[in-house]
Amino acid sequence: MVKESGKKVAVVGMGIVSSIGGNISSFTRSLKNGTSGITRLAGREGPELSVDIGAEINGFSFNDGLASYPDLPEELLQKAKSCARRSPFPVQASVLSALEAWQDSRMFSQKNDPERLGVIVAGESTTQNYRYGLHAGFATDPEYLSPRYALQFLDSHQVGVLSEIFNIEGEGFVVGGASASGNVGLIKAVQLIQSGFVDTCLVTGIVADLSPIELQGFVNIGAMVGKNKFQSPDQASRPFDAEHAGFVYGQASACVILQSCDVAESKGAVIRSKVLGCALKLDGVSTSEPNVAGEAAAMNRALRRAGVSAHEIDYLNAHGSSSPLGDSTEVEAIKRVFKHHVSELWVNSTKGLTGHCLYSAGVVEFIASVLQMEGGFIHPNRNLDNPIDQDLRFSGATFERDNIELAMSNSFGFGGINSSIVFQNHR
Amino acid sequence: MEKKNVFLIVKDVISEVLPDVDSDGVKIEQNLKSLGANSIDRTEIVMLSMERLGIKLPLVSFGGVENIEEMVDVLVDNT
Repeated sequence: MVKESGKKVAVVGMGIVSSIGGNISSFTRSLKNGTSGITRLAGREGPELSVDIGAEINGFSFNDGLASYPDLPEELLQKAKSCARRSPFPVQASVLSALEAWQDSRMFSQKNDPERLGVIVAGESTTQNYRYGLHAGFATDPEYLSPRYALQFLDSHQVGVLSEIFNIEGEGFVVGGASASGNVGLIKAVQLIQSGFVDTCLVTGIVADLSPIELQGFVNIGAMVGKNKFQSPDQASRPFDAEHAGFVYGQASACVILQSCDVAESKGAVIRSKVLGCALKLDGVSTSEPNVAGEAAAMNRALRRAGVSAHEIDYLNAHGSSSPLGDSTEVEAIKRVFKHHVSELWVNSTKGLTGHCLYSAGVVEFIASVLQMEGGFIHPNRNLDNPIDQDLRFSGATFERDNIELAMSNSFGFGGINSSIVFQNHR
Repeated sequence: MEKKNVFLIVKDVISEVLPDVDSDGVKIEQNLKSLGANSIDRTEIVMLSMERLGIKLPLVSFGGVENIEEMVDVLVDNT
């Protein structure tokens, strides 16, 4: 097959703060064990909502987190502390996952040209809960609104914070793509590198710190599983199972550092994976409905750009949000793309463990896929008791051992946003 | 309110905004910049101090302030 784009992009660093692990190694263990992060939601101010479960990051401490990266220079950690010590939770979580990725990449021990570094922050309307928490005080005393508000209510504040900490002076911006935001961020980073604007790009998926309004909104549109549907919270996220009833809210901040393969090789970086091709495809609709043709087109385009045939893919990290319509649409699209190869293609959904991490989901699941490639396993499909399809090769209740050479990760979002990434094992 | 009590409140706010500063060692003649406060930290210290004292002054009232003592004086004059 003819490749549409030649320049390969390497994954040189990864970091995560999630409900099932505060770093890459604990996250890997949870993937293997099929650990669920879904519990009752911590109490929120305001009215009683129609949802009370989710996979939250519990016991988050920015200061404890800063002490978890022993290889990083003290000066860098001090800078991180001073930039984000007064920041809302989503910013602090982004800083920690980025520090872990930076440590992993060993970039701190290299001489980097700041103008060749970029940063992409994936997620939109990410300051809702921060703003919601300020309303009561503002209603009586607007004069006391923090002077930081004008900086911190902007999603792009994260661009400033991360660029200051890591001395990034190339391009930087925010991307939004609803539940596909993470993949959109990764795809735009690959394109920035391929087009030569930067050599290295840090991509951060922001924690979806939903306020009560967004939680209720996702229930009211019929996308999020409501109250009292399942006996225990950890049964509620069940992608591709006959009893699936909507997505479950999840929190994670995840960071991937991508670098041009040429640069990575010349610097002697440890390459964890190579991105071969990716695609972003719109359905041209404003609604929340998924679309078989759009999803299949995104997967096919990613394969074509990677120069890979469908039958060569070993593993698919599905979007699989546990939504009845979303899951069945994706199954149909997968069958359309992979045809008879579906009997050989491993499929799972990380959302069965982490819930749906919304803005960061694409980055979380990309990381989960790389970790499975490196470890030679396919994590369990939690709660998949009665698969809605008998032809696809879903992993079961325990992890499967297998070699993954080539993987694909899908993310789809409201507004007809379809995305798919194809990447290769490198270890 | 007495000046020394206002200064205690301001020191408490400084330790909240600048956790690395040993607030017991802060002298009233020092300026916030020398404690490592950037412009937003300084504005936040002023606003949080006003909030603790329950007073509302336009920020321009602190326009000519050169050190912590002058800031405390503006606060004392308006409590």
